[in-house]
Amino acid sequence: MFSIDQYAYSNRMRAVHPGERFAFAILTMVICLAFPSTVTQLAILLLMAGVVILWAGIPFRFYLKLMSLPFSFLVVGVVTIAVSLSRNPEPTLQGITVWGVTIGVTDQDLRVAVELFFKSLGAVSCLYFLSLTTPVLEIIAVLKKLRIPVLFIELMSLVYRFIFVLMETADRIYTAQSSRCGYATIKNSYLSMGQLASNLFIKSYHRSRMLFTALESRCYTGELKVLEPHYTVSKVNILIIVVIDLALVVLALNTGGGFVG
Amino acid sequence: MAELILEAQDVEFEYPDGTKALKGVSLSIEKGKKIAILGSNGAGKSTLFLHFNGILRPKRGMVRFAGQDVRYNHSSLMELRKKVGIVFQDPDSQLFSASVLQEISFGPLNLGLTEEQVLQRVQQAMAATGITELQDKPTHALSYGQKKRVSIADILAMEPMVIICDEPTAWLDPKHTIQVMELLNGISRQGTTVILSTHDVDIAYSWADYIFVMSDGRVVGEGIPERVFQDEGLLRQADLAQPWLVEIYHEFKQQGWLAKGVPVPRTKGELLELLKRDTPGQALVVSG
Repeated sequence: MFSIDQYAYSNRMRAVHPGERFAFAILTMVICLAFPSTVTQLAILLLMAGVVILWAGIPFRFYLKLMSLPFSFLVVGVVTIAVSLSRNPEPTLQGITVWGVTIGVTDQDLRVAVELFFKSLGAVSCLYFLSLTTPVLEIIAVLKKLRIPVLFIELMSLVYRFIFVLMETADRIYTAQSSRCGYATIKNSYLSMGQLASNLFIKSYHRSRMLFTALESRCYTGELKVLEPHYTVSKVNILIIVVIDLALVVLALNTGGGFVG
Repeated sequence: MAELILEAQDVEFEYPDGTKALKGVSLSIEKGKKIAILGSNGAGKSTLFLHFNGILRPKRGMVRFAGQDVRYNHSSLMELRKKVGIVFQDPDSQLFSASVLQEISFGPLNLGLTEEQVLQRVQQAMAATGITELQDKPTHALSYGQKKRVSIADILAMEPMVIICDEPTAWLDPKHTIQVMELLNGISRQGTTVILSTHDVDIAYSWADYIFVMSDGRVVGEGIPERVFQDEGLLRQADLAQPWLVEIYHEFKQQGWLAKGVPVPRTKGELLELLKRDTPGQALVVSG
């Protein structure tokens, strides 16, 4: 979870304008979701893996590990779609019959399942590309440019900052508890976990009060004004994005036969 | 008489839960000085600091900035907070942004400066605190000592007349403690009044121009470090130890290794210098 954050700050694509990365990820994801073309989705999957591993320099094994997370979820999900159980099987159902119940797959279900599988995996790979190459701060900067309401953006940046503070606090409480056998038995564990949660809540509340005081003493008047970083737009990159996404659309139209209704 | 920058007069303060944190604090701080406020936990140091830039309002008594009574309307408070900055003890409660550069830019932007001015101030503050190379790192990737320096840069970028540091060396290792104290010395040389609170009597003794001792919501003693730390009754009252330099000085004097009337040394170097001067040609004999 936190290695994603570390890679986001240290990958080789940091110099690319975050808006370009954002646009690339979102446009490609839209293409992936909009066209019922498995070939296109497979192409997107490979494209994103290639960009993340070769351009951004994320280790192949780490990327594989990340992809295996949605992979296992998806396998369970699509199997339930593909496999049918029936007492009065339709003629299209192919499978085996045990005690009058037929377990099997139909051609149509199988196709839906496969398409859903690659569509989801393709969309996830687009989001992975964004989160592995773009730190949350830069995503926030892009959202700000897109005129997302200030309240939402401030909340997002505070949440992002304090996730780490909260994790650190929780970690410290956990260590203190386990050093006193807080997690030695199941019963102890439940008890300790409950105390950890309530303590964390109280500490967070206290910290938010302190933060407000600290902000106030720096002339806070209700808006978290900060300097926006400047990035340089690259025409070459924009051209590359447009060419790649157009190519994907052409591929999709030729293999999938139009939009999904 | 020297110009006073901050004054408290019979300041009393009570938290909503009924805790009387300040019970009539009176003190005057001279402009441009290095001030240490000593006192054990719960003596009221932090509460007093929050009065100095108008976060808290005294229940009774007066706070004065540059000779003027502090007023508590919006514009007067903004004006006061521009001039009196507080570096809080726990950087994780002060740093709100995940970006070091954005974090430091918050204060100066609130002063209504242009973006170029703000950027310039942020860069100056980062250079002064030695964190320029950290500006592209996220806040959560910094070490505690680095966060501490960012929290000082936060305030430095606002270029206040007074910088107040609440326990700036708490939880720092000796190396980073020295770094922070040197940084505060540098800020002081620029003419800024620096006020800090600490339990560390050795640091206070060597660093401060003037010392206030607080205990149980009151100022129980004040003076130049040499005087304050030789007042054993005062130190006992405030639960403070004597700095090792003062202790050694008295011990040496009793042993006759230092001449009578030699002033108390302020630093280790001064002590060694005194020893060399007062025992010419004869080596120290340690009986054992």
